[in-house]
Amino acid sequence: MGKQEDFVLRALEERDVRFVRLWFTDVLGYLKSVSVAPAELENAFSEGIGFDGSAIEGFARVTEADMLAHPDPATFQLLPWRGEGPSTARMFCDIMMPDGSPSYADPRFVLKRTLQKAADKGFTFYTHPEIEFYLFQGRPGIGEDPIPVDRSGYFDHTAQSRGSDFRREAINMLESMGISVEFSHHEGGPGQQEIDLRYADALSTADNIMTFRTVVREVALSQGIWASFMPKPFTTHPGSGMHTHVSLFEGDTNAFFEAGAEYQLSKTARHFIAGILHHASEITCVTNQWVNSYKRLIGGGEAPSYKSWGHNNRSAMVRVPMYKPNKGQSTRIELRTVDAACNPYLAYAVVLAAGMKGLEEEYELPREAEDDVWSLNDRERMALGLEQLPKTLHDAIRIAEDSELVAETLGEHVYEFFLRNKRAEWDEYRGQVSAFERDRMLPVI
Amino acid sequence: MATDSETSWGNLARLGFFDSERARRLLAELGDVVRPLAPLIGRSADPDLALTALVALADAVDDRARLLREVADDEGTSMRLLSVLGASQALGDHLRRHPEHWHELTDPTLGSTRPPAYAIREGLLRAVGADPRDEQPISTLGYAEALDALRVEYRRVLLRLAARDLAHHLGLDDAAAELADLAAGTLDAALAVARAKVGDAALSCRLSVIAMGKCGGHELNYVSDVDVIFVAEPVEGYAEATAMRAAGQLASCLMQVCSDHTREGTIWPVDANLRPEGKAGPLVRTIASHCGYYERWAKTWEFQALLKARPVAGDMELGREYARVIGPLVWSAAERDGFVEEVQAMRRRVLDHIPADRVERQLKLGSGGLRDVEFAVQLLQMVHGRTDEEVRPSTTLSALARLTERGYVGREDGRSLHEAYSFLRTLEHRIQLFQLRRTHVMPTDEPSLRRLGRSLGYTKDPIEELDKQWHFHQREVRRLHQKLFYRPLLSAVARVSGEARLSPESAEERLAALGYQDPKAALRHIEALTKGVSRTAQIQRTLLPVMLEWFADAPDPDAGLFGFRRISEALGSTPWYLRLLRDEGQAAQRMAQILGTSRYATDLLQREPQGVAILGDQERLEPLGRDAVQTEMRSAAERRDNAKDAVLAIRAIRRRELLRISVADLCVPFGVAEVGYALTDVTSATLEATLEAAIRGVEAARGTEMPTRMAIVAMGRYGGYELGYGSDADVMFVHEPLPGADAQLAASMAQAVANDVRQLLSEHSRDPALEVDTALRPEGRQGPLVRTLESYAAYYGKWSAVWEAQALLRAAPLVGDPGLRERFKDLIDPLRFPAEGLSRDDVVEVRRIKARVDAERLPRGADPAMNFKLGGGGLSDVEWTVQLLQMEHAGRIPELRTTKTLEALQVAVEHDLIAPADAEGLSAAWRFASRARNATVQVRGKASDQLPRDARERAAVAAILQYPPGQSDDMVNDYLRSARRARGIVDRIFWG
Repeated sequence: MGKQEDFVLRALEERDVRFVRLWFTDVLGYLKSVSVAPAELENAFSEGIGFDGSAIEGFARVTEADMLAHPDPATFQLLPWRGEGPSTARMFCDIMMPDGSPSYADPRFVLKRTLQKAADKGFTFYTHPEIEFYLFQGRPGIGEDPIPVDRSGYFDHTAQSRGSDFRREAINMLESMGISVEFSHHEGGPGQQEIDLRYADALSTADNIMTFRTVVREVALSQGIWASFMPKPFTTHPGSGMHTHVSLFEGDTNAFFEAGAEYQLSKTARHFIAGILHHASEITCVTNQWVNSYKRLIGGGEAPSYKSWGHNNRSAMVRVPMYKPNKGQSTRIELRTVDAACNPYLAYAVVLAAGMKGLEEEYELPREAEDDVWSLNDRERMALGLEQLPKTLHDAIRIAEDSELVAETLGEHVYEFFLRNKRAEWDEYRGQVSAFERDRMLPVI
Repeated sequence: MATDSETSWGNLARLGFFDSERARRLLAELGDVVRPLAPLIGRSADPDLALTALVALADAVDDRARLLREVADDEGTSMRLLSVLGASQALGDHLRRHPEHWHELTDPTLGSTRPPAYAIREGLLRAVGADPRDEQPISTLGYAEALDALRVEYRRVLLRLAARDLAHHLGLDDAAAELADLAAGTLDAALAVARAKVGDAALSCRLSVIAMGKCGGHELNYVSDVDVIFVAEPVEGYAEATAMRAAGQLASCLMQVCSDHTREGTIWPVDANLRPEGKAGPLVRTIASHCGYYERWAKTWEFQALLKARPVAGDMELGREYARVIGPLVWSAAERDGFVEEVQAMRRRVLDHIPADRVERQLKLGSGGLRDVEFAVQLLQMVHGRTDEEVRPSTTLSALARLTERGYVGREDGRSLHEAYSFLRTLEHRIQLFQLRRTHVMPTDEPSLRRLGRSLGYTKDPIEELDKQWHFHQREVRRLHQKLFYRPLLSAVARVSGEARLSPESAEERLAALGYQDPKAALRHIEALTKGVSRTAQIQRTLLPVMLEWFADAPDPDAGLFGFRRISEALGSTPWYLRLLRDEGQAAQRMAQILGTSRYATDLLQREPQGVAILGDQERLEPLGRDAVQTEMRSAAERRDNAKDAVLAIRAIRRRELLRISVADLCVPFGVAEVGYALTDVTSATLEATLEAAIRGVEAARGTEMPTRMAIVAMGRYGGYELGYGSDADVMFVHEPLPGADAQLAASMAQAVANDVRQLLSEHSRDPALEVDTALRPEGRQGPLVRTLESYAAYYGKWSAVWEAQALLRAAPLVGDPGLRERFKDLIDPLRFPAEGLSRDDVVEVRRIKARVDAERLPRGADPAMNFKLGGGGLSDVEWTVQLLQMEHAGRIPELRTTKTLEALQVAVEHDLIAPADAEGLSAAWRFASRARNATVQVRGKASDQLPRDARERAAVAAILQYPPGQSDDMVNDYLRSARRARGIVDRIFWG
């Protein structure tokens, strides 16, 4: 057993930890948790904790249900919201098959594999998410309109607002779990918040996002409010995205930076962006996985719906932020499609895979979008070669079904399950009669 | 006096100079005195280097004349000086910077006397101006000055040591021990310098330096990190906190004194990372704190490291106290659960972490390297040192000697291991000496290899000889290393006098850790195989340790060992059996691999253990081909009186051939198409010989000759030459009465023959049955078993449906009367290859049937994705697609008229019926599914179209398909991918 495992075992003893939650993520991005007593942990490290994989969404076929969760000691953290007294800790797990081979059903393994492929070429993938979400008064009941906690807008500072109390508390908790917060503010919609996490390697970021969602919901509950990452809860207010800044490093140097190049963007960065744009429609199904996700994407404003890139252009799908002198290490690009209800492991895996494909094939970067893409008319967009992203989940599924890139990245098992599940979601949605239809038709026909 | 001829160009080259022209010039420069030295210089490891360095030294010294005279006159001095100069560039450089040190090498006692450790220590302390007699010696020099002085003195002693080593052929153990003494003295002198630097605070603590690793083991390298642990206690009257702070300062200053680079270079890095908690822990601890850590937290490897702990510098009384307290903990650690496995796991991790391109040239960490020996010795020490204090010495070679003396290691093994270790260490020393660099990697350039070889005394063909010796010792270590690990398992059950015994419980634990699921049973098998004093048991005892490891590497170690026991019991007294396994390593390894992987092959072997003979050599693993097999079967059958015995003989030969194919498939690269051909050949030979025997039998019974000719038409995968292990043979029987024969009689006798063929081949016997399946005949099970050629013609003329034409695509008349076979082919060709292709209705019909078949034939509860045959993108999808192309186009493209799927695909590409990428996708999926299906049957021992669910069986399938251990889900992912791609192609081409 290595040093890290030792550290964990020692910490359990010293901090009087009574329970350890082993966390992992199902294919759709829901957090799963199993508690073990510290005494069982040594065994969990060496052999893993057995569980019935067929009970987890997307994990196993019924016939081969035996799976093992192996805790990753590097992710050990005490859970801060359990109050004083004996504490509880958590670790993320890797899922293994009984013969010790990593399971292809495990989203974390999907990302690890993709990161490894990039690592084989000498690259590390860093990400930095800006996570948006809404706070509501109490838990919204079925069929009721949710009521936001306030009526403020972008960057508003309100004295004693519930939102800022909430943010302070949530940030404290995140920081105490070793998750650094870069920035936080009130977002555009009423009750909408944004918290930015500090950049980290993509696997840590994905783990952090999973933790983040839990922490935010826990803190909200403790204050009697409700937090949701639903991509577009209101027709009229902006949706919640998860704009993600990404960069590639070669060792200690930022591979996206090239002094003197246009926007200080290296060839690597240009190919990478080209890769993301080229495969944008294929990966949308993963980065925006819900029926509701597409209501955000076609809503205009901060959310993109055309494949485009631009320098400091907030209407573009890929934005190249303004370069700050002497900050070569922080050169990065911002991907604005992703929403906060995605499975972060899968989403980052497909984004990286698309970018790496651009690098391998040396895709040519298309023309930069200099205008506000929303203000152009259709003909203009056509003339500029701006293609639209999938308009519905159905479109996205159809395109992903033909995508070798997505299949290869997710692995056959996840790919097959994911698409099957999404098709079912679409079929169910298609049959729904909505308030919109009734409001339009009942009065007149 | 030398003549010119001695230093002639040719002679110098013969003496070993590389650049003899330059050598002549340099010799002349040194003057006549030195001329007779030429042969002597020629004996050094690198004559050119030695000569160059000598010239440089002569230029640097004040007393050039004296130097040259001494070198010429005193053979001892010249030998020492020249061997150092020829083997070490770094020491040559040192001499040039400190030319006065050449006098050191005139000391005649160097050849005979080992400098005592205390003398070395005194010299080093004096060099830094400290009084060695003080209880806590303190340097009186300035810090920088002391550092330089320490380095110069260190090199002076090292120079003397190197001269002893190189010129006087010091034993490895002596050289390594003297290096450790030098290091110990250096640490003490460095501590004296540290005390001066830290000042009065130093008086508050007693600090002891405990050497670990090679220094602790008294077996140091020329250049290596010196591993230490610091322990301190407050001097009476001082607070512990104050004392420990001072001790920490002393320790880190000491480390710096040794590792800093100054004008005089550096000595070596001091590494304190073996301390409790490693880098994260405090540098210095009290004895109680050490103790607390080891009792509570320490891991097995840390105890293993403690085997080497030895107080070497600072407060020796404190050091001894530390040893007294900590020492016993090592031995109690060895009693902990899973301790051996932890040690082995650690060793595997070490192996895994060497960069692959370096492994080959690694002396230390590679397989068969020094670390192997050290680990093996330490492991045995920890196992047996618990009860036997005699085997506890911390020096590897001493410990090995004790282990051998006390019988824990065989005498021969001990000796070989000793020699190998000495050789590898000496080689490592020589590599390091050259530039005094820390390296464990064999150089690759010729000059270096030549110098190394010559420094070890290989004057003839040094590079070749060095290579040979090195690899020989590496192999020895590898071989013995295995034995040492697995041998104790034998002693647990076999009473071998003089050998220490492993308790059955710990043997079971070890077996379990190696992957045996039922260690108790495994131990019983080992016992059964090795008990007694017979020669067989004796050979088994030497064989088993290696076999046990091979089984452990296979997917199912228990089955491997059990199978081995059964076969050994069946063949025990057969003289060639054990000889084969003992003398031909590959045969034994193959056998272990087969028994631990394939139930199919194991079953075949167990039915007739003689089959082991084919494992012996490569040639015997070549499938024989139909003619050879058929001839052998025929003559075996003809020697039997009745059909029943004849067919038994045929089936025995078939079994042997199946084994041959299955083993070849497992052991040597073998294409899946080739497996299909080979199995098809064996099946045809079997049917041919059986048909003849059945005919003879029926003729005898009826008392009349056959009034009709007979043939057997292969159908389905058999007709396509695509049989897998355990496939049934799909066939149709056809006969053709001789002109004027009685039709009734002909039909009745043909019927009898066909019945006999089926029955004799499926009857229960020792050998596997061949099921002859005739369900594809006209009218299926309702139709007559045998039809005449005319009857087939009439039937197809009247009833032919598109599915029947499709089934005939794979019809190949392979057995029986050649003329009849030909005529049958002529009959069906127009049916299956319609000149006008398929009508639109026919195509719809084919699709409709396929849609129904897909839904109906999948077994209940089977996971369609994991079904090789009926799953999407599986064998059936690919074959139907190819068959549709054939029926549509074979009428006009004669090349397309083949029964083989892959061949038809190839032709389809050539005629632009399918895009090359699509054909490649289909053929890749078909090959993957076929290979996986074959592997599944090999593993499970019975026919199956489904990837096994059982984790162990699945891992075994992955192993056969060449996936590394622990990657079975990679295989699943790869299979699903290839099937998904094929399904997309089938959707386009077949479903349109």
